[in-house]
Amino acid sequence: MNIAIDQTLDCKGLSCPMPMMKLAKAMKGMKSEEVLEMIGTDPGTKSDLPRWCNKSGNVLLDEGELEGGIFRFLIQKK
Amino acid sequence: MSDNKKEDGVLSQLYKTFFAKHWPVWVGGIILGTLNILLFAIKSPWGASGGINNWGENLYSILGLFNLEDATPLISSNYGMLCLFLVIGSFIGALFSKEFALRIPPVGELIKGFIGGSLMALGATFGIGCTIGAFFSGMPALSGGAIIFTIGLFLGVIVALKYLMWEMEKFPGFSSGKSYSFFAGTGKKGNWQKWAGWIVLIITLYIAYQYSGNHQVLAWFIIIGMLMGLISQRSRFCIVKAFRDPFMTGESDGSVGVMAGIMIGLIGFTIIKYFGIAVGDVALRTREMTWIFSHFFFRAIIGGFVFGLGMTIAGGCAVGTLWRVGEGQVKLWASALGFLIISPISKLYIVPPIVEMLPASWDFKSYLPDYLGYPGAFALVTVIILIWYVFVKWNEKTGKFSAY
Repeated sequence: MNIAIDQTLDCKGLSCPMPMMKLAKAMKGMKSEEVLEMIGTDPGTKSDLPRWCNKSGNVLLDEGELEGGIFRFLIQKK
Repeated sequence: MSDNKKEDGVLSQLYKTFFAKHWPVWVGGIILGTLNILLFAIKSPWGASGGINNWGENLYSILGLFNLEDATPLISSNYGMLCLFLVIGSFIGALFSKEFALRIPPVGELIKGFIGGSLMALGATFGIGCTIGAFFSGMPALSGGAIIFTIGLFLGVIVALKYLMWEMEKFPGFSSGKSYSFFAGTGKKGNWQKWAGWIVLIITLYIAYQYSGNHQVLAWFIIIGMLMGLISQRSRFCIVKAFRDPFMTGESDGSVGVMAGIMIGLIGFTIIKYFGIAVGDVALRTREMTWIFSHFFFRAIIGGFVFGLGMTIAGGCAVGTLWRVGEGQVKLWASALGFLIISPISKLYIVPPIVEMLPASWDFKSYLPDYLGYPGAFALVTVIILIWYVFVKWNEKTGKFSAY
């Protein structure tokens, strides 16, 4: 998937609630339609993030797992 | 041959149902509430801080400190073993779903884990209970003190959440920095985790079987503890989340999951107490007063508040800490360590002198049916849960109280 990324948020090693707090804060500072790439290792984010996108109206463009148990999400600000 | 293929497909589907995706939190809540009833039917309800305290006492006993040589050995402690197998159950759940990894966070997070765990130990020993004993079991046990403890928890969570947001704003570097991840189960290379999961499961069942001869209660505490860990891991059942998320992202899923578990527990506990089920050789009154602690109201509110601070800073309450330990979250290892190191010290040297200064009437056991009858007590707890439900759903929609 070829998507231009405007900002990357590294949450590797962090556990709940830090990834979601950092994500929400980072998204606040972004402009509409900009894309944030978030990488992290907390399995909880796999369910928390789509739920939060669903509620907040931001769009989860892509999610996947990289080597070494790292999860990657692409989120577009509404 | 074709039948065999079909059978494999069905079993594989079943496996994926449990381990390919996380379960809805309310499913976890309902099963945990049911298992809590079974624990009460066997002996006494779910609790976590007492088990972690037992770990700490055993540590000091080995080290020859604080005259704790007579502490109940871990292998004979119902709650010590329940907590231990909760960790192992979560480990099994994480291995089966290939979600286990040793996740080492930045140093600042480790410090927060340790401080959070220590605060939880202080709160649990002063307030006589944690989010499980004095809340998830305490509310269904029709305890007046549990309601007060819950108010304290809410206040502690709100204050600690404000602190976390302030810290993230002013000192973002504290939760950033070098982190490491080992033994992750990504892709086909990670299939070893599934096999390891089966091995740990078989060993657990073998240990429970060994206890089943002369220690039937302990055998069942081992099995139920293991199931509780597995279910908590798969459903991400988290009481901190239930209290915190409405004020953070505004989400209500975690809260609803906990409410579901409390309501199931409420039905079962009320029946057990009302009919004196499994009363054994104790008086009916003793059975009724199970999990009614002498903390109403001062110790409950202060204990709940301090515990709420600790669990929010650590990112997991007593049980949330335990199942995340099994999943390999090293921040919560620091939290468990802080909890088990501080708990016996607090119980022996910090809480007693403070309690001595308090009026004896403040060590009160409040059993709601004594004042409201069983129907009234049941209705009161139900109404409190209903008000909480309406609040989190309304807040989710309007975002009135959520920070983001």
